[in-house]
This record gives sequence, C-alpha cells and structure tokens, in this order.
Amino acid sequence: MPLALDPAIIGQEFDRSVEGPVTAEELVAFARALGETHPVYTEPGPGLVAHPTYCVRFRGGRFYPESILKLIDVRSGFDAGKDIQLGEPIRPGDTIEVRSTVHEVYEKTGRTGSMVFVVIRYTLTNQRGETLAVVDNRFMHR
Amino acid sequence: MAVRLRFEDVREGDELPVRSLFLSKDQVRAYARAAGQWSPRFTDDEGARREGLPGMIAPGNMSMGLLASFLEAWAGPGTLRRLGTTFRGLVLPDRTIRLCAAVTQKEKASHSIELDVWLEGDEGERWVLGTATLALA
Repeated sequence: MPLALDPAIIGQEFDRSVEGPVTAEELVAFARALGETHPVYTEPGPGLVAHPTYCVRFRGGRFYPESILKLIDVRSGFDAGKDIQLGEPIRPGDTIEVRSTVHEVYEKTGRTGSMVFVVIRYTLTNQRGETLAVVDNRFMHR
Repeated sequence: MAVRLRFEDVREGDELPVRSLFLSKDQVRAYARAAGQWSPRFTDDEGARREGLPGMIAPGNMSMGLLASFLEAWAGPGTLRRLGTTFRGLVLPDRTIRLCAAVTQKEKASHSIELDVWLEGDEGERWVLGTATLALA
C-alpha cells in the first residue's frame, strides 16, 4: 500500500448521497452536446433514456475519505481514466443514489517520477434499487 | 424499435469505419455545461493557461461520451454494456479528431463482442485508449 494508508480503507464506503430527480431536459442537453441524434437519447417522451455515459456526472458528495485527504492534495490530481459497467438505463424522474468506495490505491513509477493512483468506485442505483452503473474513476497524483 | 447490429454480421478483426469530426470550443463548452463540469480548464483558454494547461481542453468524460456514441451509431442504441478508458493526452478543441475501434473478440454465449477503442488526433497520436463490450442481437 503506497502512502501511509490503512489497507482496511479498501472497499470501505465513505459517502452515500442522493441526487435528482433527473429531468428530460438535462438528458437531452447532455446527449445533444455530444452530437448525439438518436431519438431514444434526444426526444422527450416515454422512450427517452440517458446517454450511456451520463452516469459519469454523478460523483457523490465527498471526493475522497478524510484519511486520503490528509495525505494527498486533491488539486494535484488528474482524471486518468474511467471504467463504466452499465445496468438499467437512467430515465427522467429517477433519483440516483451514489455510493462511493475506495476501490484501489497503487503507485507507479514512470519517466517523470512516481505517481499515486486512487480508484474511487461509484455505484449508482435508482429509487427502485436497480443498479444503473458502476463507475471506477482513476485519479492520478504526482 | 431501434435496430441492433446482429452478432452473426461481425467478425473478429473487423474495423469500424473511422469517424472524423471537428471538435469546436463551443461544443466543449456545451458539454461542460450539460455535464456539470463548468470549470475554466474546459471553458476558457486564459483560465486553462492559469492552471498550467496550453489552452482549454475537452473533459475526459466528453471523450468517453464521443466514443460511446460512435460505437452505438454502429451497433445500435442500448448496445454498450461496458466502456473502459485511459486518458493519455490532452484533447484540445478547435481541431479534427478521429474516433476508431476494432473488434477483438466475440462471445457466442452472451452474443457480446469486445473492442479496442481509441480517440486520436490528426497525426494519429492516440489521446484516449480503451476497451468496450457491446451486446448484440
């Protein structure tokens, strides 16, 4: 484990928040900003669902748990990448519960020195308890 | 009902037709607004330079979104099941980018396919790399 972190932090939930309800206007604006033209993502109505990457905008109420914030300056970080697993589509009217856990912390040494990667897993569920997406976000800190 | 690409019509090694598009600063700003990422680095050259960047950049999430739309334009809406990306370089707007993908594996039992996906610049430099899973009909 890089940094002076307790390994028990891995897998621990450090934030749970609820966002929404999602509106049709938000979903359409998001899809259109990507140049999306398919009606299922751009036309308000009973068939409208969120673009598959809409889920990445939900990041919970706290960026990192306190134990990481003590060791890392969040402003030094870059978004290094994401993995999204999609479940049920997000629909207008959905409220989204976001559970944040520390999924992984690891160190890499590259040409420019050592980097610490923090992977936060966001698990999104709707008001019916259905899983909408699991998003692993890798942040890199120099 | 939207048309989905059929599993039988895809072969390992198939390359998707490359999609070239001009990514404008206004489109990046529209995305930043719609995605709740309204921050100087994504909206304003001067603000981005104050953060040590060469100018305003496109959010990594936007690159993912463009790749997702590219894949579903080929296979049909609702086909994307997984997308994993690494943001390797800065995607600067006001230039042409290319969206690319190739089929690496077919899974008969689940009617799903695996792909390598990437977003590259005019000279072939790959700024975003990833893999995706699509569920086909």
